[in-house]
Amino acid sequence: MAAKENFEPKILAFLCNWCSYAAADLAGSSRMQYPPQIRVIRVPCSGRIDPFLLIRAFNSGVDGILVSGCHPGDCHYLDGNYYARRRFLMLKELMQYAGIAEERVNFTWCSASEGKRFAAIVDRVVTRIKEVGPWEGFDGRGFARREEEMASGK
Amino acid sequence: MGNNYSEISKKIQETGRKLLSEGKVERIIGFGRGEFTGQITPIFVTESERAEELLFTPECDMMLAKYLLDYKGSKTGIVAKPCDTRAITVYLAEELIKREEVYIIGINDCEGLEENDACDECGVRNPVVADEEIGKPRSEDVDAEIEDDLEGMSSEERFEYFQKEFARCIRCYACREACFVCACDECFVDSNQPQWVGNSIGKRDNFTFHLMRVMHMAGRCINCGACEQACPEGINMRALTKHLYRVAKEVYQFEPGLDPEEKTLFATYKLNDSEQGFLD
Repeated sequence: MAAKENFEPKILAFLCNWCSYAAADLAGSSRMQYPPQIRVIRVPCSGRIDPFLLIRAFNSGVDGILVSGCHPGDCHYLDGNYYARRRFLMLKELMQYAGIAEERVNFTWCSASEGKRFAAIVDRVVTRIKEVGPWEGFDGRGFARREEEMASGK
Repeated sequence: MGNNYSEISKKIQETGRKLLSEGKVERIIGFGRGEFTGQITPIFVTESERAEELLFTPECDMMLAKYLLDYKGSKTGIVAKPCDTRAITVYLAEELIKREEVYIIGINDCEGLEENDACDECGVRNPVVADEEIGKPRSEDVDAEIEDDLEGMSSEERFEYFQKEFARCIRCYACREACFVCACDECFVDSNQPQWVGNSIGKRDNFTFHLMRVMHMAGRCINCGACEQACPEGINMRALTKHLYRVAKEVYQFEPGLDPEEKTLFATYKLNDSEQGFLD
């Protein structure tokens, strides 16, 4: 947690093609400002997101995740996000119970017209994750140090 | 204990003999003597003359339900403790087996196994589904509750606790072999395209493996404790599955393995499902 002051989190964002991805697009094309720390992965539906992908993201060293799908009732595939909702709630409970900070696991809904909301959500998520600091990994060794070690050939 | 083990054994033998000689089932999966003195092992009886080999003793601790998946497409009889019937119920709910293909010989009034802690938390003492029940059913309610092992621990303490627990894991996958839920055609740990989690032993991959394992258990795990019994390292792996069991019960009023008609947790949804913890 040493480099907390100038800590720039890596956040993986899984965005549904039909809503949140378009919202991100809208935010961009309307010149809205939001933090640049998210890396976006476009998925066909929030129901496509296997919880394994999210667990694996933490294994690989992201500081937090954001999953955003269509509002309940608005799914392009009718009910994909309803299934996703149950999965995400259980995953969140599991991560929280296992001791991973609640702030790192974020789920939300965002429709294609909510560019402003998307920018606000990203802002909020980045602030939340900055507060809890860098993710030290399941082994607690930290990822920044690992990268340094690899670079110096240790 | 309302029922006598030798009486139960005798009734199982009678039933088995009848079913096999009438050709109602092709085989009966039950318990019998193993190679060593006092050893009890699963046995597969196909001829009515061999029905005497079927036994039921306090040492019958294995879950037999998983063997049903090896015999899909033919009629199989199975000696089932209440937890086995719950496992069968999950299989039926997930349409992994057909109801008409199994003949369930349920054992009433299960008093739980001595060396299995999960039995103390189990409130199901009579079979959930059965074609035939053996012994007197237990009438009184058992108010057993699933405990929170880590109650009162802070988030950091829990993280450290699990790190320590999972660091002992040698990735032998005995928990997977013992678990009736683990019936995927290809287990995620064996998959290398994509490779979900590294195969080597290490704090990082071990933790990831256990989180993923528990995520697969959610809405299916009946808390039978077979994983912990199989674990050579004595890892408290039920702590996580139990937590999700409790959450599913609280949030969705869902308990796996009680109703074969009810779809499992992730196979269905309600329009007004909870969104607790979501960003608004």
